[in-house]
Amino acid sequence: MSLIECRKLSRIYNRGAEEIRPLDQLDLRIDAGGFVALMGPSGSGKTTLLNLLAGIDRPTSGELEIGGLSLGDLSRKELADWRSEQVGYVFQLYNLVPVLTAYENVELPLLLHPISSGERHRRVSAALDVVGIADRHSHYPRQLSGGQEQRVAIARAIVTEPTLLLADEPTGDLDRESATAVMELLSRLNKEQGRTVVMVTHDAKTAQYADVLLHLEKGRLIEQEEMAS
Amino acid sequence: MAGLTSRNLAMFQGGVNMRLLPLSYATRNLGRTPSRMVLTIGGSMLVVLLVLAAGGFVTGMRKALVASGNENNTILLGVGSEESLERSEISMQAAGILAASLDGILNRAGVEGISPEIHLAMPVSLDESTDALGEGELMLVRGITHNAWIVHDEATLLTGRVGEAGRDEAVLGKLAARSLGFEPAENAIDRSIWIDGREIRVVGILTADSGVIEGEIWYPLTDLQVLSQRDAVSCVIVTRDGATPPQIAAFASRRLDLELAAIEEVDYFASLSAFYAPIRTMVLLTALLVGIGAIIGGLNSNYATFVSRIREMGTLQTLGYSRFAITISLLQESILASAVGALLACFIAIFILDGTAIRFSMGVFGLHIDTGVLAGGLLAGFLLGIAGALLPAWRCLTRPIPEALKTTI
Ligand SMILES: Nc1ncnc2c1ncn2[C@@H]1O[C@H](COP(=O)(O)OP(=O)(O)OP(=O)(O)O)[C@@H](O)[C@H]1O
Ligand SMILES: [Mg+2]
Repeated sequence: MSLIECRKLSRIYNRGAEEIRPLDQLDLRIDAGGFVALMGPSGSGKTTLLNLLAGIDRPTSGELEIGGLSLGDLSRKELADWRSEQVGYVFQLYNLVPVLTAYENVELPLLLHPISSGERHRRVSAALDVVGIADRHSHYPRQLSGGQEQRVAIARAIVTEPTLLLADEPTGDLDRESATAVMELLSRLNKEQGRTVVMVTHDAKTAQYADVLLHLEKGRLIEQEEMAS
Repeated sequence: MAGLTSRNLAMFQGGVNMRLLPLSYATRNLGRTPSRMVLTIGGSMLVVLLVLAAGGFVTGMRKALVASGNENNTILLGVGSEESLERSEISMQAAGILAASLDGILNRAGVEGISPEIHLAMPVSLDESTDALGEGELMLVRGITHNAWIVHDEATLLTGRVGEAGRDEAVLGKLAARSLGFEPAENAIDRSIWIDGREIRVVGILTADSGVIEGEIWYPLTDLQVLSQRDAVSCVIVTRDGATPPQIAAFASRRLDLELAAIEEVDYFASLSAFYAPIRTMVLLTALLVGIGAIIGGLNSNYATFVSRIREMGTLQTLGYSRFAITISLLQESILASAVGALLACFIAIFILDGTAIRFSMGVFGLHIDTGVLAGGLLAGFLLGIAGALLPAWRCLTRPIPEALKTTI
């Protein structure tokens, strides 16, 4: 069963007379519970696609359906609510809020949800446990290593129990060891918690964790590869 | 995913996104760059202090002039000098003739509410040598009889006693004492002041409900006549008790020989107040212009601060926070800083500015920091916080999220 369906999805920027097409009539289906790696040369439209899937950007034309919901029909506020419920986004540079502790960073998305503070505490602690940062609750981002920061960021992305976990080069800024830890974490979240993961990566080794490889070039899908796992 | 549809439903019913960021996010952001925080707080403190000073000036002046007009008093002064008591000269006999010709004048324990007075601006010094050089401070010296205390019933002795004629004794208004450097005013008791080569002892301090009298020196009329070598008085002030203003005006026009004009004390001070209105307007305008300048400065510094957080704003929006929620947080941060500055300014205003003697051509009056002025200052601080942050916040938040996420400082 597919969670995501893109039909003739295009994102076009007009810069004066010039027309830039980071995504060009893309057709794509991603199954629920899948782990997809998006690959392709720089400028091929990977981040653009991820941003559309996250509902932080809007397609110029085409259809984007996620979980049966057509994102193009949602207002800005509805889209924000939808993100808060359905999407966890992991950034290459973590993007933790520097004035908040690890615990508070993870708590931040949950503050948008109507749950009791006890339930919130339970879920934040659980998320930090899952990513293995339980002993760093009161540390600020500047007091954490890059790998630890990324794991806090992943905890923040999963604490709302989103359907869709998106990651843009999540290991791009990490050393091999931290990268492996982060990838194993994402893989576990996919296998054990059933989260659908769509991840952008440049690195073939990182892509090994996925079960589907998508190759983009110039805004088009040029190859789709099922991985044997 | 099975749960998706029901969760979507809950989402659209809940309207979860009206939720705001925690206040601690705003307070910690404020403390993110301590130097900026100190500058912001200090800046808003100075601006609010200026607003308070301007408000205190205007209120103090207006209050002094309003408090000085007694609605039962009529001033008789020289025809042609209706604008200024200090320029008026009338015969000393006017008081006696008036008492004999008119009924309905206040009489308290045998003392009539008819007060012949001289109003003179004279240089006043605290030591002989300054006086000899003629470098004293110009202050209003009012030559009075005991009747003055009846006519100006707002004038009361704070301490000491009234001066006796022929003994070089004077009573100082509270503000006059303070503007001469006595703090508190009571310290002036038994000290000497010099006026025109004459040493005069301070025997009393008076208050007058913040009226102009508080900035004056009350000296016995006959002594002042000797000192200033004049027989004529400046005016006669009458407290009516039954008599009407037209009756007194009729008396003034009937006695052509005395060359009198009658003017209600309230009207006299009202026109004085109107005369100084442009100055009050200018003071307020200056404060307004400085305030606007401060808002523009605030816009700049807030913009610089917020721009450096654009990526963070993109992240918060990705998490599901609305632009509205983020704007509120930025406003909280800005208002917090300006409110702290405004409160500091209010403390300074209450403990230092309030009552400060301002010497002015109309006399001395005190800066008056009342609740209205304080409310105005706090409001100015609040507006400073909002106006300085709203536009920069909006400019930073309207960037598309993907673009915001790409921003590197
Ligand atoms: N706001 C924009 N205005 C104009 N062009 C844009 C904008 N954002 C992206 N692009 C263009 O879209 C194309 C795809 O960009 P995108 O960020 O999706 O690439 P990418 O595959 O993620 O590359 P990388 O691997 O370098 O991150 C690029 O050519 C880029 O210049
Ligand atoms: Mg990219």
